[in-house]
Amino acid sequence: MLVKRLQPMISHARRSYVELMFQVMGRALQAISEVDEQTRNETRALPEGFLFEMQVMPNGPKLIVEHTGDGKLHFHGDSAPRPVDLSIQFKHMAHAFLVLSFQEKTSVAFANDRMLVDGDVSYAVRMTRVLNRLESFILPKLVAQRAVKEYPANLHLPEKLISGARIYLKVATNFVETVRA
Amino acid sequence: MTNKYYEFFCPVKVIAGKAALEHIPFELTGLAAKRPMIVTDKGVRAAGLLDPVIAACEESGLEIVSIYDDVPPDSSTTVVRDIATVYRKEKCDSIIAVGGGSAIDTGKAVNILVSEGGDDIAKYSGAGILKHPLKPFFVVPTTAGTGSEVTSVAVITDEKKGVKLPFTSSFLLPNAAIIDPRMTLTLPPHITAATAMDAMTHAVEAFTCMAKNPLSDAYATAAIKKVSQSLLSVMDNPKDENGRLELAQASTMAGIAFSNSMVGLVHSLGHATGAICHLPHGLCMSLYLPYVLEFNIESIREPLGELLLYLEGPEVYSATPAARRAEASISAIRKLRDALHKRCELPRTLKETGKVLESQLEAIAEMALDDGSIMFNPREVTKEDALSVLRRAWA
Ligand SMILES: [Fe+2]
Repeated sequence: MLVKRLQPMISHARRSYVELMFQVMGRALQAISEVDEQTRNETRALPEGFLFEMQVMPNGPKLIVEHTGDGKLHFHGDSAPRPVDLSIQFKHMAHAFLVLSFQEKTSVAFANDRMLVDGDVSYAVRMTRVLNRLESFILPKLVAQRAVKEYPANLHLPEKLISGARIYLKVATNFVETVRA
Repeated sequence: MTNKYYEFFCPVKVIAGKAALEHIPFELTGLAAKRPMIVTDKGVRAAGLLDPVIAACEESGLEIVSIYDDVPPDSSTTVVRDIATVYRKEKCDSIIAVGGGSAIDTGKAVNILVSEGGDDIAKYSGAGILKHPLKPFFVVPTTAGTGSEVTSVAVITDEKKGVKLPFTSSFLLPNAAIIDPRMTLTLPPHITAATAMDAMTHAVEAFTCMAKNPLSDAYATAAIKKVSQSLLSVMDNPKDENGRLELAQASTMAGIAFSNSMVGLVHSLGHATGAICHLPHGLCMSLYLPYVLEFNIESIREPLGELLLYLEGPEVYSATPAARRAEASISAIRKLRDALHKRCELPRTLKETGKVLESQLEAIAEMALDDGSIMFNPREVTKEDALSVLRRAWA
């Protein structure tokens, strides 16, 4: 009985959380591509105008970023200006929640068949590395270790603190800008 | 490393053993197929491997309506279109692919065209495009290694655009895989060795990479045991039918394992090396396997140690302290490579191949990082990591 009453609330909370995390990640992806050279080394290989999407199947929340050149990513919110080039799709909201609440590593989620790739796999591999890099930047080390396969050895504390703060800052201003606009 | 969730799927009927080919007519009839087409290559035909297949069908009053024997080593969209045209003209209703990876992939792609219609195979490239079952499709492997008879993938080259098109769908899986020892009896020694090492690598990577699961583990360990026990005796006695059957079954089992739990860095490096230096796939697997395991060792100590039982048998396993088993497994694989080198000069280092330049390592590392299989490697791989593995494999 209790389960029946709670289920809609859980579903709703999960959905809200996933929507919020997509917003945060989208903005953070844009921010990290502006401050982190190693991220740009990965994203530079993407064609200019390349659209990347993460989505929850069948019509759940979405995150869309575009490579605008020189490794820079631009966050488009949840609507794409044209058909996307690469889509990573979670099979269910519950799986997106597992990954975005850092209970399941992105790479493990791939390995566990939680997600599908639609598009060029080599770009998907690249974007997974970018997402790993992002997670290790914006999360406290303990949580990040759970979220990514290997915590980058070259991410020293000052660099992480400074860049992490800058990314948070950028995410925050971006939020404010959106509210104002 | 334990996975709390996994999926496992293999709907392919395996028909294996002595006189397996003679089951083809019965199996075809069971699917209401009366006009099969054989898709194969010149090498298979020249080796006389089609004869027992044709004889088996004719004896049961089943006529092979058409034979296409011109599949190139790297099959193309044009070849697929040509075969589909013949299939339609001859009013065939089923496909039997006889051969190695290329003939099997071609058979899968032709089946898409003749089932879905049209002439443009590129249109069906990607994952999950197909929504319906295809025509009856049988596979008779003539190498023991690729495992293509149980994978839901095909790769076809688009010559005009110069790109490789991947096709992924569970509908590409054949209705049946026919494993008959007669088909691999005449494989030359170095191909026997290289393809068996491909199967070995499929099993070892399936067992040590991120998507491992209890069902694929069972197939992987059984495959490793069969290769370890039979490969050298087949190398010494190529006409050993039982040994040949063991290797063929190992290849199918390793195929079932890796198609459900994926492969890792050995394949990422191997695919890149194949593309840049045109080395055969199985040889690349044999080259990189021990070095990649050394790179991964701290992440896979436990499962790799367990493999010692299947590589070396219970005596060696129990005599080796648990803490040393992972290293001992790598030594067992090195020992096997040395034995193969002695028997057929299968290269053990990139230098020994004589076909790779040291200056190409950088490009191989770069390309390997873009390979899909790198996602399932238990350790994160940077370009420096890939390069250091390549340097160790150099000489
Ligand atoms: Fe392979």
